[in-house]
Amino acid sequence: RFRFCGDLDCPDWVLAEISTLAKISSVKMKLLCVQVLKDLLGEGIDYDKVSKLTSDAKFESGDIKASVAVLSFILSSAAKHNVDSESLSSELQQLGLPKEHTTGLCKSYEDKHSALQVKLRESSLRLSRLESVSWRVDYTLSSSELREVNEPTVLLKLQVQGAESGVTETSMISLTAEKFRVLLTELKQAQAVMNSLN
Amino acid sequence: MIKLLEKLPRTECPKFLHRVIDGVCGRDPPRLHDYSSVWSLREWLELVDTLSSIFRTAIGKKMSDEEVQQSINWLDIGYQEAILTCLKGRKEEIRQALVEKTNAISSTQLQDFDWQIKLALSSDKISSLQIPLLNLDLDTKENGVLKPLSIEMNREELQNLINSLESANKVVLQLK
Repeated sequence: RFRFCGDLDCPDWVLAEISTLAKISSVKMKLLCVQVLKDLLGEGIDYDKVSKLTSDAKFESGDIKASVAVLSFILSSAAKHNVDSESLSSELQQLGLPKEHTTGLCKSYEDKHSALQVKLRESSLRLSRLESVSWRVDYTLSSSELREVNEPTVLLKLQVQGAESGVTETSMISLTAEKFRVLLTELKQAQAVMNSLN
Repeated sequence: MIKLLEKLPRTECPKFLHRVIDGVCGRDPPRLHDYSSVWSLREWLELVDTLSSIFRTAIGKKMSDEEVQQSINWLDIGYQEAILTCLKGRKEEIRQALVEKTNAISSTQLQDFDWQIKLALSSDKISSLQIPLLNLDLDTKENGVLKPLSIEMNREELQNLINSLESANKVVLQLK
């Protein structure tokens, strides 16, 4: 049972590919880690660099894919289960990754540990997100219903991103001053509750 | 038409009139079922319609008591007084209803809202998430059709919304 696997057994494919990693030098593997971390953090991976790094070891494309996948698994799974780099280091050595390789990997992990967790938090499932808010305050003077209205109304444009990213829905809502006041007060109450959760 | 009101005993008038005003304010109007011994369907529809229109016009056109009285002067004086008393008591409420109606002209307006706060504990991406989330349900009405809008917000998104509303609120307060 391994902490970086969420206190479960290490998947067989990970076990198998750890020996693939041992075939490249520890320095190159550390550089490969940097690329994989970039990918995990959404900065994009440089595949040319990756294939250069693995060229001395005479890796075939399958091996390259496997080493990227296994590093990706180790790094994201360790961050997911909040494993410190020391524990990760001892667990990887138990699984047969050479000491120098382990040190390099764990150093990269330690550096990016919190950034990785921020990224994982951000990419966790959300039902929707409030993307932007625009507003306008109008003063209604008169209408067919009421000769002297003289009341402010608030127009809100809310842009909401749905569960599927990239799909935003725009809603225009108008509120009477009275409802607007109640909404704002209640949202502040909700915010107070939220802040008390710290 | 308004003469039809006199079919109802004077003492029962206030209760009936208040229910008519409820209808004007967008709540449950009176039901013919409760008054079927007094009026026929046709009389009922005419009376409720006329009374609603009197209440709306009185407030909408900001009529004085005398002006209102003139528009109902063929009623028995006791009934006239009943109407005026009810109108006086619920002036603000009717006005607010008319402001709401005004607001509904050519825009989607907010009817009601509800919120809920949850603490997201864990996800497939990270085992310890601990993020508070606010779910805000806005019931909006567009051309008489209810349309719900649901928004999930984290701390920053809520802060962003509150900041926007606060700036709008500054302007609203100046207008009051």
